[in-house]
Amino acid sequence: MTDEGEKFAIETLDLRKSYKMGLVTVHALRGVNLKIRHGEMISVVGPSGSGKSTLLNMLGALDTPTSGKILIDDVDISRMGERALARFRNRKIGFIFQSYNLIDRSKVTKNVELPAIVADMPKKLRDRRVHELLDLVGLGDKANRRPNALSGGEQQRVAIARALINDPAFILADEPTGNLDSKTGEEIQNLLLRVNDEKKATIVIVTHNLELAERTGRILHLRDGVVEKERVGLTPQSQASDSDSGMVTSGRA
Amino acid sequence: MRTVAVLDLIGLSFGALKERRLRSGLTILMVVIGAALMTSINGLGGGMNNYISEQLGTLGANVLIVTPSANTFGPGAESGLQTKLTPQTVRTIERIHGAKYVIPSFAGGGTLKSGSETKTVSILGMDQSKTVYIAPKVSFESGSFVSSGDSSGIVLGYSIAHPSNLAKPFASIGQAVFVEFSKVENQGGVEKLVTKTKAFQVRGILNELGSQSIDNVAFITLAAANTFFEKSSVYDTIYVITTSTDMNDKVETSITKFYGKNIGVISPKAMASTIQEIMGTFLGFLSAIATVSMFVGAVGIITTLYTSVMERTREIGLLKAIGYTRETVLLMFLAESFTIGLLGGLLGLAFGIAGAYVLIQLLPFGQGAMRITPSFLPTDLAQVFLLACALSVAAGIYPAWRASTLSPITALKKE
Repeated sequence: MTDEGEKFAIETLDLRKSYKMGLVTVHALRGVNLKIRHGEMISVVGPSGSGKSTLLNMLGALDTPTSGKILIDDVDISRMGERALARFRNRKIGFIFQSYNLIDRSKVTKNVELPAIVADMPKKLRDRRVHELLDLVGLGDKANRRPNALSGGEQQRVAIARALINDPAFILADEPTGNLDSKTGEEIQNLLLRVNDEKKATIVIVTHNLELAERTGRILHLRDGVVEKERVGLTPQSQASDSDSGMVTSGRA
Repeated sequence: MRTVAVLDLIGLSFGALKERRLRSGLTILMVVIGAALMTSINGLGGGMNNYISEQLGTLGANVLIVTPSANTFGPGAESGLQTKLTPQTVRTIERIHGAKYVIPSFAGGGTLKSGSETKTVSILGMDQSKTVYIAPKVSFESGSFVSSGDSSGIVLGYSIAHPSNLAKPFASIGQAVFVEFSKVENQGGVEKLVTKTKAFQVRGILNELGSQSIDNVAFITLAAANTFFEKSSVYDTIYVITTSTDMNDKVETSITKFYGKNIGVISPKAMASTIQEIMGTFLGFLSAIATVSMFVGAVGIITTLYTSVMERTREIGLLKAIGYTRETVLLMFLAESFTIGLLGGLLGLAFGIAGAYVLIQLLPFGQGAMRITPSFLPTDLAQVFLLACALSVAAGIYPAWRASTLSPITALKKE
């Protein structure tokens, strides 16, 4: 089955997360094993409370697992210290959130360049990249606006540009179309597909939007903290064409 | 992190303060009030100290001033039983061990006329050869003292000869000036105002000493003053020069022992230090209040920044998600509190300096003969400024720490 020597972009080994909510212990993830190849675009779907967001937070090093391993480019990030994790998030990961999380008092350009500031990117390069990315997401003419003067779709485009500024290997999106109408949602989908295609970034999308899920290469169904089933999307991408043989993802039964 | 990035981060902090303009403004105001109060009080205190040193510093260290009564407002003053200072008093004091020179003087007021200009002045009659013992720094711009036998000679203080409101000197050497002196006389049961005028020759003009009590005085001989002001040999003040400063207390005690409370003895140096001590205590008290208000300002900063951290939880979560470390977030919030301190400190100094000049106009010693100018020591200003900055940064530590330790997921989840 799996090529033993193959390096995966993301690999989790028996990933578990439980946390206390008052007196109850919630088992958000109960042994997730998944392998994602470089350049793959996958979606994670499942009912509320299935552990989708928890999984995404783990992959993005925002949260630490109770047990198990997360290998990103073969490095176990569950063992990294605070500083190393911050650096890792900064250089390797671009986050996209349901509610955009833009800073309203700062201009669009400032919002986009935020991750580049702590990456020590020289100001000139920063400015150039900000404008390139704003052109890419179709907001070249709104660079000096403030986020609250933009529509929801436009705000999410700004967030996508911000996610791309440090040229990350991974894009993690948590319900990126959740706050948008279907037409705008589709535009954002197209943009993400384009980013996957042009930037060759590995993209993991957590979504309720089945239409969006279908357009990704692979769909993981999460239920009660385990991967219930996995299937190939309607438009499987070249990088993930042999997913049925290569992508071993299984939950603890 | 490179400096460029640090500047960018400070820019972000500045933006955060600007976003909450009113709240930031009020917080800065709290710092401004404390810093301004401290600055004003320091400035007034410095000005008063300077004034006292100027006034009394011109007198020699071993000078004692003897006046008719110690308790001007006490029962002795009312009963009119106070001892008169006479040539007999001078002889008595001269016999005291430690008294080197005893210099009696007459004081009077009058109008000085020179050409078409007139000026109200104080006139002091004394043995002018002894002036140097009383005010060692006295020197002549031109001319010299009037010798004892010269009943029509006059020496003018610097401010009389060079009034600030005249372009040309009021009088010059060798010129004649007229002194007008008015007194009420009882002539056959009817009181009448009698004005006497006498011509004097200007023999000398003094250099500026910076003390009103000398710069604004005209000097004539003891005998001339006795006659002109009709003092009948009753002196107004006797200056006692002791053999050394160490003898001041002894001589003072001896005089007091002899005359009791009917005579007042003042040592200018002791007086200066007493006044300065009392004022120091008073200003110290005011300063303490000002310092407390600085601390209240610091508590205000804690509240403001803490509220700001709570409101910006999502923003902080985002920053951490995109790779900002604890230290960076801490630095950003400390930069905000430092900015508050910096602006508050600078504005506080400006308002404090301006405030001192306004206060001095409102207080009784702003005008007239007793003119105090606020004086600001650079070290005091620096101290207030640094205190404002340091307190503000210290006040920012807790909110900044809270912000830096926020977990990115909980922060992002918060609606």
